Amino acid sequence: MSKKRQLGFYLDSGACIGCKACQTACKDKNDLPVGVNWRKVVEFTGGSWKQEKKNLVPENVFAYYLTVSCQHCENPPCLPVCPTSAITKDDDGIVHIDPNKCMGCQYCSWACPYGAPQFGKKGEPMSKCDMCADLRTIDQNPACVDACPVRALDWGDMDDLREKYGNVVAVAPLPDGAYTNPSMIITPHRKTNLPGYFAKLPESDPKGKDVIGPNTVKYQKL
Amino acid sequence: MSKISDTIKGIFSIHPDTLAAKRAKRPVDGNWVPVVCWHDCGGRCALKALVADGQVVRLKGDDTHPDSPDYPQQRACVRGRSQRMQVCAPDRLKYPMRRKHWEPGGGDKSLRGKDEWVRISWDEALDMVVSELKRVKENFGNESIYCRGGEIKRTINLFGGCVDSWMTDSYGSWMGTGKRIGLYHKKTGSKFETFTSIGDRMDMRNSELVVMWGANPAWSSPGSPTWHFLQVKKAGARFIFIDPFYSSSAALLGDDWYPVRPGTDHALILSIMHTLLMEDDPEKNPLIDWDFLNRCTVGFDAGHMPEGVEPSENFKDYILGLKDGKPKSAEWASEICGISVDRIKQLAREIGGTKKVALLTSWAPARINNADSWPQAFMTLGCMAGHLGQSGRMTGTSSHVGAGNGGRPLVFAGGNGLVEIPNPVGAAANYQGGRPDGGISIPGNQLWSAILNGEYTEGKDKTRKVDIRMMVHSGETNMLASREGQKKGIEAVRNLEFMVCNAMFLHTTAQYSDLVLPVTSQWERDGLLQDDGNREAVFMGSKAIEPLFESKDDIWIAREIGARLGLDTNLIESATLPQQIYNSASGAMVITEDGKDYEPLLTITEEDIQNLGAVGKTQTGRIPFKEFKEKGIYQVKRSPNDNYGFIPLEDFRKDPEKFPITTKSGKLEIHCQDLAEFVNGCGWSEIKPTAEYIRPIEGFEASFSDWETKTKGEFPLQFYSIHYLRRAGTTYNNVEWLREAWPQDFFINTLDAEERGIRHGDTIKAFSRHGAVIRRAHVTNRIRPGVTCMGGGAWPEWDEKHAVDKAGNANVLTGDITTGQGTSGWNSCLVEVGKYHKQLLPDHLWPSRTLFKSKRHE
Repeated sequence: MSKKRQLGFYLDSGACIGCKACQTACKDKNDLPVGVNWRKVVEFTGGSWKQEKKNLVPENVFAYYLTVSCQHCENPPCLPVCPTSAITKDDDGIVHIDPNKCMGCQYCSWACPYGAPQFGKKGEPMSKCDMCADLRTIDQNPACVDACPVRALDWGDMDDLREKYGNVVAVAPLPDGAYTNPSMIITPHRKTNLPGYFAKLPESDPKGKDVIGPNTVKYQKL
Repeated sequence: MSKISDTIKGIFSIHPDTLAAKRAKRPVDGNWVPVVCWHDCGGRCALKALVADGQVVRLKGDDTHPDSPDYPQQRACVRGRSQRMQVCAPDRLKYPMRRKHWEPGGGDKSLRGKDEWVRISWDEALDMVVSELKRVKENFGNESIYCRGGEIKRTINLFGGCVDSWMTDSYGSWMGTGKRIGLYHKKTGSKFETFTSIGDRMDMRNSELVVMWGANPAWSSPGSPTWHFLQVKKAGARFIFIDPFYSSSAALLGDDWYPVRPGTDHALILSIMHTLLMEDDPEKNPLIDWDFLNRCTVGFDAGHMPEGVEPSENFKDYILGLKDGKPKSAEWASEICGISVDRIKQLAREIGGTKKVALLTSWAPARINNADSWPQAFMTLGCMAGHLGQSGRMTGTSSHVGAGNGGRPLVFAGGNGLVEIPNPVGAAANYQGGRPDGGISIPGNQLWSAILNGEYTEGKDKTRKVDIRMMVHSGETNMLASREGQKKGIEAVRNLEFMVCNAMFLHTTAQYSDLVLPVTSQWERDGLLQDDGNREAVFMGSKAIEPLFESKDDIWIAREIGARLGLDTNLIESATLPQQIYNSASGAMVITEDGKDYEPLLTITEEDIQNLGAVGKTQTGRIPFKEFKEKGIYQVKRSPNDNYGFIPLEDFRKDPEKFPITTKSGKLEIHCQDLAEFVNGCGWSEIKPTAEYIRPIEGFEASFSDWETKTKGEFPLQFYSIHYLRRAGTTYNNVEWLREAWPQDFFINTLDAEERGIRHGDTIKAFSRHGAVIRRAHVTNRIRPGVTCMGGGAWPEWDEKHAVDKAGNANVLTGDITTGQGTSGWNSCLVEVGKYHKQLLPDHLWPSRTLFKSKRHE
């Protein structure tokens, strides 16, 4: 029996400028509301400043970016945890969520180390990247790939991608590739191995008492 | 039903009309209409809109030809890709609206910006503008009406004119300085102003070293420039970044980073030049190109001064400290700019010791108070090292339309054919330094104080009275958010009797107006050819959707007001839109293959003209008009060693006597009397004819109460405004996808944050002597300690009780300070930062400024 096909993404992290054109093109193509991001861009930065005679000087200050969608893993951890068997892997290796079976329980998003399955609001099924299945049927690239202003993204059969770009599948701050066998090949940024830290902005509590929002705009009812 | 079962139902039952269901019904392909991304970002990119049932379903990028580094697709940035959310935003203004408590004379003016809005009809709205124009003109004269531009200005000019203003805009001091010293020059023998002094992208690949001084194209010039720079990198160039921020461009390209303090670039560059002078040895260690200096410049040393100038005024003596006893050494500059002595010397050796260097700067370092001589200092370094006028060697600005790609246009649009209507009262556009014919043109930095105090500076020892009673804003102008001294701006407009604004959204200028007129976007009408992006392509958008709600084209508003004033509407709209399209198409030219001349771009047939509804002649060009209209773009195909390259000053370098440049002396002016006379004549502060350092107002030195003992003052941190991918200028600020992707955070270094007990994500208050903002802190080591920054252009949300702007408009922190040639000072500002006691709702959860809800968006 021949091996099943596995499609995947390629990212040149050395070229990625973190501009989020891919994330936004994805939102436009798939009509995603605020809060639902099938593709996300993370900044990884570190380094420090030290006093050297009269001056503060940077020491190993670096930054690079990774754009990450569903990794269409060979061992997708989202799949076995789904209580309604809504998640499947198709012949191309693409991981799908069937919106008609999904009941929006969010187990898959808890299981996924990449935060790929997205929860919109109560009553909506989970959703995530399907590598623009509809565009692929008409021989077009996924929207993110064609949107990249620095041509850092590619896609294709994983065997071809490995041949073309190597076999790195994880760099900080992504999880170890051995965990899920992700289908994304990465060319690491030249500063990938520098010591650093990863900081995530704390989520504000939108309902908190002390939260400040904009002024209410007033209008006369028609 | 019990509560628990309700909850279970809520979680586990999926509604039939979910987003997923809607998504499944969306078309993938169909009717693609080329649309433009028309904002003032410096780029132009190709976009197509998929239109179904009169709605734009989604966008796609440039697919008109296969992509390659030499002949790249014109791919849009994050902002262009979000434009569907702008044009079709829920907060698009739908109807004309009047401020509830406005009445002739202003009513309760203090309510501006926070009053209720009342929907009115177009007839009521137009009558209101007309009666106010007449009332103000009759009582106070046309000199009391202010308007800076847009179609409505044609009407007002015909009505007797209005007061205008000028400012240095994004150029900073390059605006008045560049052309006088010879760095923004007209290419000899060319029909076109190039306004660039850098080579084209193909020749840049020949550079061995690229110095990016204050330039971050990844954020400031999205679109193609960063891609072009990556090709330069791949061709083997080393990249040095001189910037307070370890930018995304530095992360992409940088081999080295010099974290200079904002506003101290001039001190740093002087010390680089001092090092070159100290270490240069024509035999053993040639760092200075004396041949270039001697042949192509004036003013460097006593032996090469312009005619009639004292030899002691030379620049070299200033650098060596022979005039003031202070050599501008690395030791002198180090404590100002924050770069160590060793590193300054290393930088100097690299710039002087590398054969082919591209010395590039953005306009940002020139957007400080007292920046008038900075461009001259930058040029002088280029001249000393000889990095001009040869392949791979260039010195100049890489910004906006000229980012990473200099030279005359390879393809350009024809004019629109509109008859110019002169303004009898004020100037037509930027008349920097006062209008020669005596008209009223207010310096931008003094606009708010001119409204409040009734006078402005018109030149040295010259003030002029002005009495502005009404303001008319058109186009996309949002000057109340984009000018320094935002707080004073509000005070000023609350002093007016009437303010009207054409707008698509309730941006700041619209918010503080008395009457807001909803206008269409460029997706709601056919467009003209646009060549205001890069030099290699022209674009044309077609109408994708019908005008939304009651919005009207700006020209319709101008014409209707004109008709009510009894003016000649055929002069206001002297060419119809179809006729303007024909004019811009028939006049479009493209460079011939030999690179020596231009030929018509478009073949226009009788059928094309009929379809357009225009009058004109048929013509033969390179491609059919129909094909161009369908694609929405024509791009010149490039390849290395094609005939379209550009090396500025090449002829001049070979023979400066035969090919002089447009300065007074015909050479690059290291001593420029013309510049000093111009700047000193403006009436604010004075400069010397050579590039001497002047401490910026609100610069690093001013952050100390005592510079000698290094005692910090009340505002110890520097602040500057960056270009941020959330916006282009103030445009796009409301787009929710961009609010989510690029939150308006306040960037501060880890050490400064720790000192103040601030953690990443905390809400902070930043305050200057001009105003205060609250924002979320983005604590990072990518910014130099002692320096903070924030994206420019946010729309203020004032908490008037606590006197803070919650949205983080950078101009709340900047002041309306005037120095030199009236340069905008967005990058010289001092602040203090502290933790704020309340938490700030994340930007993407802020509700939109939707005034009237509609079914369309439910």
